[in-house]
Amino acid sequence: MSCNTSVIRVQASSVEQTQRVPVHLMPCEIEHNGTARVSQYLTATTKDCKHEKTVSFRGRGLRGQEISCPQGYTGLVLKEINKLGSDQEDRTVRVSSVFDKLTYWNLETPPNSDDTVVMAMDWPELAEAIHGPVED
Amino acid sequence: MELGPFETDNAVNCRLTSQIPDVCQTEDCCLGIDEAGRGPVLGPMVYGICFCPISKKDKLKELKVADSKTLTETERENLFEKLDGAKSYIGWALQILSPNTISTSMLQRTKYNLNSLSHDTAIGLVQYALDRGVQLKEVFVDTVGPADRYEDKLSKLFPGIKVTVRPKADSLFPIVSAASICAKVARDCAVKGWNFAEDLGEVDTNYGSGYPNDPKTKAWLLKYLDPVFGYPQFVRFSWSTAQTLMDSKGVTVHW
Amino acid sequence: STDSVIDTQKHDCDPAFVRLRNPCTDAASLYMLSSGDVELFEVKAFEEDFHSWFVGQTVQRDGRLLFVTPMDPLYLILPCLIKSGIEGKFQPVDQVVMDEEFPACSRLLSCSRSLASLHHVAEEKEVGTLKFHRYSQEKTMNWLKKKVERTVITLKKRNICVGQGVKSTTYVRVKPQSDYQEEDYLRYAHGLISEYISEDLSKALLRHLELPELTSPKETEPPSKKRKLSDKPVEAGEDYTKFNSADFVRKPSKKMTAAQKSLAKVDKTGMKPMSSFFSPKVKAEK
Repeated sequence: MSCNTSVIRVQASSVEQTQRVPVHLMPCEIEHNGTARVSQYLTATTKDCKHEKTVSFRGRGLRGQEISCPQGYTGLVLKEINKLGSDQEDRTVRVSSVFDKLTYWNLETPPNSDDTVVMAMDWPELAEAIHGPVED
Repeated sequence: MELGPFETDNAVNCRLTSQIPDVCQTEDCCLGIDEAGRGPVLGPMVYGICFCPISKKDKLKELKVADSKTLTETERENLFEKLDGAKSYIGWALQILSPNTISTSMLQRTKYNLNSLSHDTAIGLVQYALDRGVQLKEVFVDTVGPADRYEDKLSKLFPGIKVTVRPKADSLFPIVSAASICAKVARDCAVKGWNFAEDLGEVDTNYGSGYPNDPKTKAWLLKYLDPVFGYPQFVRFSWSTAQTLMDSKGVTVHW
Repeated sequence: STDSVIDTQKHDCDPAFVRLRNPCTDAASLYMLSSGDVELFEVKAFEEDFHSWFVGQTVQRDGRLLFVTPMDPLYLILPCLIKSGIEGKFQPVDQVVMDEEFPACSRLLSCSRSLASLHHVAEEKEVGTLKFHRYSQEKTMNWLKKKVERTVITLKKRNICVGQGVKSTTYVRVKPQSDYQEEDYLRYAHGLISEYISEDLSKALLRHLELPELTSPKETEPPSKKRKLSDKPVEAGEDYTKFNSADFVRKPSKKMTAAQKSLAKVDKTGMKPMSSFFSPKVKAEK
């Protein structure tokens, strides 16, 4: 039951100093939230080819591509701090890390411009058309 | 044995070949096919071919290639040196199937099973020999699956060649035994010298035989099971032992 | 829990996520106000089944990507104006823009664009220093039409597929861009704008654009295949971002028979083309 009076504050003041991290979007759901030895297993075995990267995850071949955040946009990873009990109270999140680009991975299929996450990056431009001010 | 490109990149398959002896391109030849490392859950599977002129079959017997299964690793290595040394009339070729390729082939959406993988690899090596001008008249193959079906399949693919598929062919035909030695030596070498691409520091090499029912191997798998990533690429993820352990002790992943 | 978000870089001070009434669904949705309430943003989730994130040396099960993009506060102010406009009286806007259920609603007037753009949708009267407004359907229609036209320009520019039901799992079959009629673009853009206005307004806009209403069966996508940019509920107790559902209806992939091709200009009222926005684009063949 959501409460419509509480707000979620975003502690965004330190964005500039926040560290940039590599970000990967995987084509599978990993039922875990916590540490993962990404650099030891994924980064160390990734191969860079002409237009794509390849790697195996749990014995399955993945093909990936690095894409940038849309112009004028930055990727933020938000983390909740001081989680309080009730839903009625205001909550706070901070920016734990920042990214300008991300690598997304397809299961077996080569990355291409029809991939949904690639097209999603067009959304801000469409949003500007829908929400931008209309001339008088 | 020098594994060259496979040492640099053991995530992909690798073909290693000897020079083609001149006589093999002028005289009728026989060729033997065998594999090594089919059953283990660790390391590559290797397919090997060995070929020589039919007229030199007896010379091959003199090398005492015998049944490679009864030999020690060192004895096998010595025999390989002998085979490789007989370059004037013996040629060989190997296809190393990396454990990573075995995993991804068998786990891919349109499944590629081990038998098909094996057959295609063997066929590829025979074709390689033909492409390089070897005058093949006889091919002898060791088999795990049904012999007659495989023999038919190969006969159709290679008309003009007498194909003989038999279980335990490596103890029946010296040229298959020779191929077996090449394959086994390559496999042993690949496993011993395995370069872990993953950043894991010093990796314990006490994994026993590498067979899934070996307790030492099972213990090693458990030791090197990462809850998120599973195992290093040394492991064949498509093996049920590996999967079961990962499913029970690792994090669940949905595709 | 953590969330991956893509956001405009404008933070001088602390922005906040707030819940406001969704002008289309009437349910609570998540928005964001910059510090001082100067700017309004909407929050949309890009999500598909079976995705997770690796962020640095961590794994995050929730594979959503949130887009926080600037939103025109007028879309949220409109329902308030329309409601109060029923009586036909001019009123001060700060007495009109409020919502019992959503106290943050009145903060919308602090957005720098709000007061400056009211004249697009309302008649203004000044009495001394005080301003009074009354909702104007005529002005609103013209404003919305301009919005549609702006959107069409971007759709064309970004080569976005505005065709109908053209994706199947094994191939993409669309008409080349040159074959799209202006009407295809208008309908598509109308569909996008309709996500921000009531159904009545959407129908009125369709008439104003002189696009005849077409009938078509509503088609629902099996939940396992849902893929969209949406305001969607997140029920997990741990998750602070609770969106409320927009009832997403997605066109299923179809092979196009000749008959279906002619039916391709399908009614999009009740269908939210946002989801089809994320079906494969086709680059115009030269």
